[in-house]
Amino acid sequence: MTREEIKTAILEFFRKEFEIENPGMEDNLREIHGFDSIDAIELLLEIEKLLGSELTQEEKKRAMDIQNLNQVCDYVESMARVR
Amino acid sequence: MERRVVITACSAITPIGRTKAEILDSLMNGISGVKVLREDDVLSPYIHSKVFGTVDYPITYDFKRQYRKTMGPVAYYACQVAKEVLESAGLDEAFVTGGRLGVAFGSTHGSPTVQRGIYKTFFSGSQAGYSSIGAVDYLKSMVHTTAVNITKMFGITGRVISSSTACTTGSQSIGYGYEMVKYGMQDAMICGGADEYDTTTVAVFDNLLACSTAFNDTPHLTPRPFDVKRDGLVVGEGAGAVLLEEYEQARKRGASILAEVIGFSCNNNGGDLILPNLGGITETIRLGLKDAKIPADDMDFISAHATGTKMGDVIEAQAIHSVYGGRPAVTAFKSYMGHTMGSCGAIETIIVAHLLAGGFVVPTLNLEEVDERCAMINHVMARRESPLRVAAIQNFAFGGVNTSIIIKKWEGR
Repeated sequence: MTREEIKTAILEFFRKEFEIENPGMEDNLREIHGFDSIDAIELLLEIEKLLGSELTQEEKKRAMDIQNLNQVCDYVESMARVR
Repeated sequence: MERRVVITACSAITPIGRTKAEILDSLMNGISGVKVLREDDVLSPYIHSKVFGTVDYPITYDFKRQYRKTMGPVAYYACQVAKEVLESAGLDEAFVTGGRLGVAFGSTHGSPTVQRGIYKTFFSGSQAGYSSIGAVDYLKSMVHTTAVNITKMFGITGRVISSSTACTTGSQSIGYGYEMVKYGMQDAMICGGADEYDTTTVAVFDNLLACSTAFNDTPHLTPRPFDVKRDGLVVGEGAGAVLLEEYEQARKRGASILAEVIGFSCNNNGGDLILPNLGGITETIRLGLKDAKIPADDMDFISAHATGTKMGDVIEAQAIHSVYGGRPAVTAFKSYMGHTMGSCGAIETIIVAHLLAGGFVVPTLNLEEVDERCAMINHVMARRESPLRVAAIQNFAFGGVNTSIIIKKWEGR
């Protein structure tokens, strides 16, 4: 999965499920788009679908510091690499 | 210190309409909201009772996703009526979020629709499905989902009470909200109850032989509280909310006052969890009068719980007669819309407040021939003008929980 494919998939998920249109890649998701703990859990479930495998508890904990979309893409890339 | 408590806003979603005008039109013209039970491909094929008090009109919800994401159908109902209550009341945002406004709101068992989805996933045997059960599903389905979705949507930071006592959920919410304001714990409370379309509740009552089955082809003719041909209750759906405010605050801000809550009682039968109990219900009525500090002779109108079951209606009639005698007018509003469960206490309180303000009473629908065992009380058999001043709303629930709310017509002071 390329970085561009990951970005496209994540943006589509944000548009469809979170009703967030064209967010900036560096936007603070919590402060600008009202992203909260429930959204984070839903996003992790979507990332598991993208990866085609479950994330471990440790891997999920590493996602808790994510603040923007570039970091989401970095996270997905790193998870894909170890699979 | 005891403070006066007034109702300054209300809203309802009922099988007989949404607005005050629609609801009163149904009541004045004998229009029933009981319809044929919708098929759900889960329980409905096995249920003998094929009728349901149905909300069959569209409701437009204008909730942002950040609120929708934790809401099941029951929370949609609850948040919609709460939203309309707050809009109607015109409270300023600083008060709403300042900690002196609380919420007392409940439902029978959260969202059964969402719970069914969870169970389906559990029993599908799918590992992927199992992992998809998350925090959101719990937030949508939990018993206090109505109350906390209301707090979230409006940023309310005061007390939260979330009763879940079946048929007394709504009346307990109003009663406990009244006590919060009366004793100075909060200055205002949004109170009410909601229940969504659900066949689980129908199945439960159906198994107990408590549901109406003789009018499956003519739903509008059932339930029939106090009538000789009554054959059981009809489950329904809906929501109701009222804003209770401390009187001086309401007066100072120029709020429109609908009625005053002057008494509340709640007790338990202390025994059987299903059968109606004459002693328990009678004591509830007496305790309500004591709290309101009025004699029984002051009571003008009673909204009976009267679900249309064989024994429940008889016991309630006996209890009413033993305390009030045959003077107060009695109407059973479930005859129009079925038993809306967790919301019935709130919806019936709203209706009674409208009747007090309007100075008229409406009959129990489908009450054609009064059962002689219920004949000792003053049934309203036809719509008529009636200068009401004080009224009681009675509700009784599985679990032996009984409530009585007493409200008074607002006469300007």
